[in-house]
Amino acid sequence: MPVPESLKFIASTLSWTLRAGCVAHLIHEFVYEFTETRGESMLPTLQRNHDYVHALKTHRLGRGLEMGDCIVAVKPSDPEHRVCKRITGMPGDIILIDPSSSSELTNTPNEIIQHDGFNKYITVPEGHVWCTGDNLCHSLDSRSYSVLPMGLITGKIVAANSMDKGFFTNFWGFRWITNSFN
Amino acid sequence: MAIPNGLKTTLITLTWFPVLYSFTNHVYQPYQISGSSMTPTFNPGTSTTSKDIVLVQKYNLKSANSLHRGDIVMFRSPSNPEKILTKRIIATQGEVVRTKSPPYPKQQVTVPRNHVWVEGDNSFHSIDSNNFGPVSQGLVVGKVVFVIWPLSRFGYDGSSSSTNTSSGGLGSTNSVVNNEMNDATSIQVKRIDEF
Repeated sequence: MPVPESLKFIASTLSWTLRAGCVAHLIHEFVYEFTETRGESMLPTLQRNHDYVHALKTHRLGRGLEMGDCIVAVKPSDPEHRVCKRITGMPGDIILIDPSSSSELTNTPNEIIQHDGFNKYITVPEGHVWCTGDNLCHSLDSRSYSVLPMGLITGKIVAANSMDKGFFTNFWGFRWITNSFN
Repeated sequence: MAIPNGLKTTLITLTWFPVLYSFTNHVYQPYQISGSSMTPTFNPGTSTTSKDIVLVQKYNLKSANSLHRGDIVMFRSPSNPEKILTKRIIATQGEVVRTKSPPYPKQQVTVPRNHVWVEGDNSFHSIDSNNFGPVSQGLVVGKVVFVIWPLSRFGYDGSSSSTNTSSGGLGSTNSVVNNEMNDATSIQVKRIDEF
């Protein structure tokens, strides 16, 4: 029985869509991604709303990353969400966890002694990084969930756009995101 | 311009590789198990020393209720992201585990949110949560569903949550996992009985 021409056409369209979709997905996962970010934890580097970032996925699993790089990672306490942070400690580094927990400005004298924030250190273990948001006051980061396994890192942020700015304002507010430690 | 027929077939075949790769990444993928940390479930080394091949499920791993005590999972090693380990889940989020101490610094630990406590079935030859602590669910890359090779042990992993029968073909460890256990102490006692 001959297959009708229209059915052949539909089947071929669907099959090519599937193949093209898989190519796009692999590029998205292993090479490059352009995606929206929200939240105030990376102010002033990234805005609270309307910001989109260019992420290089070749740096996934922490490959070739350095101190000061901006990264996208899976949130350790909730794998369905992703976070965007800056690496502030590499394996072997000794980190003062959170001196602000003993700050005179926000704590009572009793809490200052209790938290002992100026004496709590951690050595970052092999295969992990310490990461914090640029806006330390409004950031849920390594200070609460401790070191981040490199296996959770999905990419490195290299540039960003602000979509609330017009096309003529420097291509929707395009800027490179650089390593803040170099 | 005429393209030779052979070349055309080759190119068309190549376009299916991304589809195949996406499938093995997100649906199912066979894996070869090396090492003895999951003996006797995998690589028992009794009749032959060849390595087992298992089928690994790659979907439905990230949500809180997708992993259960007794499941065998593959995850990226927290200390070396390029390495993938295979272990059995001993406890999921919120449960209290009695650890093997040393090497673990604390006698007892509550598993944090969206983390799992994993150990090898062969605890004498296993680098597991007793060394690196609870593992984030984000590091889990797959759940072992059944053994493909060798054919003599082909079959579903009886301890897996989806089947949940005690008649699986994966040997003695089933007795540990299929027991209804309410606290971590009994896990520890049961495990010691195995030896």
